Amino acid sequence: MSDKLTVPEWTLPSVRSRRRLLHPRTLWAYLFASPAILALLLFTVGPILFTFWVSVHNWNLIQPIPEMPFVGLENYRYLLTKDAVFQRALRNTFVFAVCGVGANTVLGLLGTLLLNTRLRARVFWRTLFFLPIVTAPLALGMMWTSLLSKNYGLVNTLLGLVGVARQPFLSSPKQALACIIGIAVYQYVGYYVIIYLAGLQGIPQEYYDAAAVDGASSWQSFRHVTLPLLRPVLLFIVVTNTIGALQVFDIVYAATTGGADTSGGGPAGSTMVVVLHMYNTAFKFFRMGRATAMSVILFAIIFVITIIQLRLLRERT
Amino acid sequence: MRKQTLFVLLVLVAMLLAACGPAATPEVVEVTKIVEKEKEVVVTPTPAPVKLVVLTHWGEESVLNPMQARFDEYMKLHPNVTIEYQTVTFDQLLAKIITGRAAGISPDVYHFYNLWMPEFVKGGMLAVPPEEVIADIRANYGAGSIQAVTYSGQIWGYPTEVNTYQLIYNKKILEEAGYYNPPETWDELKEMACEISEVDASGTVTRAGFLVIPGWDSGVVHPFLSLLWSNGGEYLDAEGTKALFDGPEGLETLQLYMDMLENKCTDPAISWGDFPNSKGGMVIMANWWRATLKDTFQDGYENVGVAPIPVGPSGKSTATLQYNWLFGVDNGSKYRDEAWKLVEWLNTPAKAGEASPIGDFLTSALGAIPSRLSDQKALADRYDAFMQAFVDSAAVARPEPVVPGGQEVKTTLQTEIESAWYGQKSPEQALADAAEEANRILEERR
Repeated sequence: MSDKLTVPEWTLPSVRSRRRLLHPRTLWAYLFASPAILALLLFTVGPILFTFWVSVHNWNLIQPIPEMPFVGLENYRYLLTKDAVFQRALRNTFVFAVCGVGANTVLGLLGTLLLNTRLRARVFWRTLFFLPIVTAPLALGMMWTSLLSKNYGLVNTLLGLVGVARQPFLSSPKQALACIIGIAVYQYVGYYVIIYLAGLQGIPQEYYDAAAVDGASSWQSFRHVTLPLLRPVLLFIVVTNTIGALQVFDIVYAATTGGADTSGGGPAGSTMVVVLHMYNTAFKFFRMGRATAMSVILFAIIFVITIIQLRLLRERT
Repeated sequence: MRKQTLFVLLVLVAMLLAACGPAATPEVVEVTKIVEKEKEVVVTPTPAPVKLVVLTHWGEESVLNPMQARFDEYMKLHPNVTIEYQTVTFDQLLAKIITGRAAGISPDVYHFYNLWMPEFVKGGMLAVPPEEVIADIRANYGAGSIQAVTYSGQIWGYPTEVNTYQLIYNKKILEEAGYYNPPETWDELKEMACEISEVDASGTVTRAGFLVIPGWDSGVVHPFLSLLWSNGGEYLDAEGTKALFDGPEGLETLQLYMDMLENKCTDPAISWGDFPNSKGGMVIMANWWRATLKDTFQDGYENVGVAPIPVGPSGKSTATLQYNWLFGVDNGSKYRDEAWKLVEWLNTPAKAGEASPIGDFLTSALGAIPSRLSDQKALADRYDAFMQAFVDSAAVARPEPVVPGGQEVKTTLQTEIESAWYGQKSPEQALADAAEEANRILEERR
């Protein structure tokens, strides 16, 4: 019996894989992949780990990093128990996400169904829907700020023509968040229409024909053919939109600061959202540790919500 | 084959390391030039080249070019110095400074708001000025300006622009209502504001007698503090460790706003930017607004009046808030000495009786008040009635307290004042909550 035969059989794959690993072709493959791996480690994994590390320190962004005082979970404790602005920002962010995602999902679908009909100048309408998404959020925010102005805004002028009293919109704590949600929906709904359209056009016509042969009405076709087959698209839209909505910053910043040196999120904190509070905490109040703790909390929230959404929608899909 | 592979790998690794490494910099060579002097050959060393990066928030075209002209002049006088002038907007200045610092690409010279000084000092970011600079500042600047650039007993830079707050009013609107003098007391302020306000049939205020500036911490808090101090109240205690704005004088101050809001004599929905459109009669604002007012009012600029802050029921005399800016040098600058020389040149008159380059720039281009006393004297003939009123207000101005966490306290107070304006909290509750949070911030930052 030779030595070779004494090697236990279960070790063979690992010996094989080690050999494969050391094969020049494999080494070449790793060499070519190494810039991408290095970039991933440097620009994604590294900053994530650094964020966690900073979140347990008190850092003003100016002190040398090795001199940051370690504070343990103090930043988290403060945010969750004492920081009234953070708690309000969390509430506002949830309201923004729930209403924004709901509106985008429903209005996007309605817009898609409309654009999928034999509408005249269909390409024109599709372009029109998509235009806001390619407009800079800062420009959109400023445009809406002037459109919604209480004394000079076009919206109030139009409301005046139909006998409605002037509304304060962005300058009212009761209306400002609703206005911000409206602006965000205006900006993003076109993008979701395009995604829905792609999904809708992927449904074979034969299914509708079969439903028609069975005597299904338009509503029944939509309810039992379109909607079930659009669920993967719906899953994508709900998950990505929720992640984006929970991280909202630009449109709130643009519409409530007007590009000036204000903390934004006004009036009286009624539109303060988590990422804007994070920005102020880090770059206005010199509290990078607390700001990174906010980002870790937000990450955890988004992670949990995404898992729940994926489970719920995937089961049905 | 293996050797070939190894060789290729080594070459690739060497190329990667070379590409990632720092660019080669030529060694500084001592250059000498020979000058003939009365048939003698004198060898004088040429100073090594120096590159200074200066960062300010004076980025608008109207102020960018005049400031660049001062730097060009300096470069002409000092051929070895190259100045790279960087500007950002005010709202981005702090983020630019601190992120640049964290990234190790700090400018050599900053122009910054004195409220940021405690954190800059704590982070070891600012260079201590040379003795002659400190002596110059002590000798040629007012006590308020020196106090404004001092923290922990150390002067940290040259004071530049001073801004105070005054009551700016539209003379024409007031005169149309029969008022030929601005208000001197809060009762007069309320009366005039309510008289000149206009409300349409739906109850919407279309012209605010008195304008408030919501959404902006300085816009809310600086006028509030000017009124509070004119009512005998205090912002913080002398050590800067406890909030005092929630006392009776503070409540009276917030109640003044509430009275005007309830009687529709003001409306936060009308922007202070509407003052030139005659949508507002009076507003408490700083002198740097002059350039905008001149541009927007144009021929109507003569209708813009300036008056001291009206005195409150618990106050004895008018007072106002003053805040300052300063030029400082980064502690990590490679050319610290050269940077201080530039800052010193900018702030020193070339001849006795003349203005310094920065004093001249602040007055002519920016419409601000220079801090240097000799500049104020030399440029006095350039002040119009508007500016003169602000210069005069310096006598009753109190510097904004420079304490660790000052910016955060200010934003907290702004949010709480606004929550009272918008009816979310009572004035008592809003000020109590603001004081509680301010005390916590001050305690934590101490």
